[in-house]
Amino acid sequence: MARARQRWLPALLIPLALALAALIGSVQAGASVSLPPKTANEILAMIARTEVHALSGTVVQTAELGLPEVPTAGPGIVPGATSALELLTGSHTARVYLDGPSKARLQILDRMAERDFVVNGSDAWFYNSADNSATHLSVPVPSNTGQKDSLRSETTHAGMPTPEAMASHFLSAIDSSTEVTVGEASTVAGRSAYRLSLVPRSDGTLVDSVSIEVDSETGWPLGVEVRAKGQPEPAYSLAYTDVNFSAPDAALFNFTPPAGATVTEKPVPIKPLPPPMEGPAGAAPDDSAPAPDAVVPTPQGSSSPMLPHPSPSVTGKGWDAVVGLPAGTAPAELTSNPQLAQALQPVSGGRALTTSLVSVLILDDGRVFAGLVPSDRLQSAATAQ
Amino acid sequence: MLVALAAVPILIALAVKLSSRPATPGRGPLFLDRITQNGLFVAVTALVVCVPLFLPLTVGVVAGDTIAGEANLGTLRYLLLAPSGRIRLLLVKYAGAVAFCCAATATVAAAGALAGVVFFPIGPVTLLSGDTIGVGESVLRSLLIAAYITVSLLGLSAIGLLISTFTDVPVGAMAATIVLSVVSQVLDNLPQLEWLHPWLFSHHWLGFADLLRQPVSWTSFGENALLQAGYIAVCGALAYGKFTTKDILS
Repeated sequence: MARARQRWLPALLIPLALALAALIGSVQAGASVSLPPKTANEILAMIARTEVHALSGTVVQTAELGLPEVPTAGPGIVPGATSALELLTGSHTARVYLDGPSKARLQILDRMAERDFVVNGSDAWFYNSADNSATHLSVPVPSNTGQKDSLRSETTHAGMPTPEAMASHFLSAIDSSTEVTVGEASTVAGRSAYRLSLVPRSDGTLVDSVSIEVDSETGWPLGVEVRAKGQPEPAYSLAYTDVNFSAPDAALFNFTPPAGATVTEKPVPIKPLPPPMEGPAGAAPDDSAPAPDAVVPTPQGSSSPMLPHPSPSVTGKGWDAVVGLPAGTAPAELTSNPQLAQALQPVSGGRALTTSLVSVLILDDGRVFAGLVPSDRLQSAATAQ
Repeated sequence: MLVALAAVPILIALAVKLSSRPATPGRGPLFLDRITQNGLFVAVTALVVCVPLFLPLTVGVVAGDTIAGEANLGTLRYLLLAPSGRIRLLLVKYAGAVAFCCAATATVAAAGALAGVVFFPIGPVTLLSGDTIGVGESVLRSLLIAAYITVSLLGLSAIGLLISTFTDVPVGAMAATIVLSVVSQVLDNLPQLEWLHPWLFSHHWLGFADLLRQPVSWTSFGENALLQAGYIAVCGALAYGKFTTKDILS
């Protein structure tokens, strides 16, 4: 009998060992690291001074906004129709390759498909493998090319949904309404990182805090995490899972549309790149003459990135800012998307999309209001105008 | 069973060849619309079609039959009369199941490549990233995909072996293995069970698409291999415990 029990021993030990290994792995991932202490201003200066010329890495975006999960597979799913809400729910992985200010490639890794954005000098390509279509844009070469070879946000990558672009959105908006503190250092993408915490001083916003993880070696932002009030898990996070600061293969930036693909030529767009994963963090509280595309908090998907935006109105300041779009300027996708229509709730005078982080109010007269505030504040902003 | 598997790519190729209406991009299995332009896609399309059901089905039959089949035929005790030991028998049986996994995926891939060469023009292959690679590299990628799928099926084979040690009725073990593979895939599609997904043995089954990106993303290959190794270790240990303490009556 003792012998029989001995033979069951591996069956007991191996699962135990595996469970232990999995546990240790998850504990190590969350372990804090010790770095020489720095003040918030020193870290901000480090971000401003960063001298990264090229990188390749993998970015994971997770959104927990309390929206219903959108099915991405199954019968009746038309490719592209879900894009607006799809990027606001669940988790998405993308690979990012950057080299100098004029070369960039972003690959959104979908299940059995891929969406690619390639920028090389004045050429920009968008390729969608799901329907084998390519879109070509000629973008003006950024004027500051010769000036500095470092990757800063004024370059073509500004529209790319990378942690550094998102971080610079938030950092550029730091003013008296934001309290900046230094949090506990952590490990992001296998690198030790300082954590910068931005806490709104206002009570009117849905944002509880924004934390930015900054690589301790290069000062490159590695991750952005937005927490909403009254929600334990982060409402939105965008972070590298691996990153490498050496130049990627140059051939990656040479894109020729494959034979048989539908190629569309687009005129020079208003903005350099359609931001595919522009989430709620795109609604950075930018109260100093915000770029129109930066404040519309709903991702417009790839189908309508070229809409001209008349100047939107901004009510309130800092985190409480409410952006209003005049009638007729809202992307058609906002009203015609069946999945989005399901998520919208009727309110007096229109319909509202309420998430834990961002609210959108679509009035019956066509005006659209959005902000990182509860929806009743949007309504009061709408009636005030 | 291998013949049935080989029929899948041939049927796909014939159906696409004979249908007058070109397939709409984005509908149907991956790459179905590209087959007419490039025969090399037949193999990949066939593998995509086979992964959710046909391959688990055949692997379930083979793995479920390993021990229970011998017990049912009454040959198990004669096998154990030889001084080879139960551990060795278990290992040999598992090796047989693994060999079948290799043969099954290789059959689908080879039949697909053959059907593609016969019915359609061959040319450079477009990857998911929109980049184009030559014929030689595309054959290499097809082999990598076949290897990926073989690795994916190893965990299921181990589960089949384990179930097979618990019963003398081979049909029961086969059915249980196949049902488990379907249940695992259904659970993998329920967003409410997201925490469970990385632990399901079918979670990475369709991850071989990562091998069709430029540059190749090896993350899912590694994760898949690790996961399947975990299943092999756990199921192997359980099967060892059961089989070595079992009273062999038939």
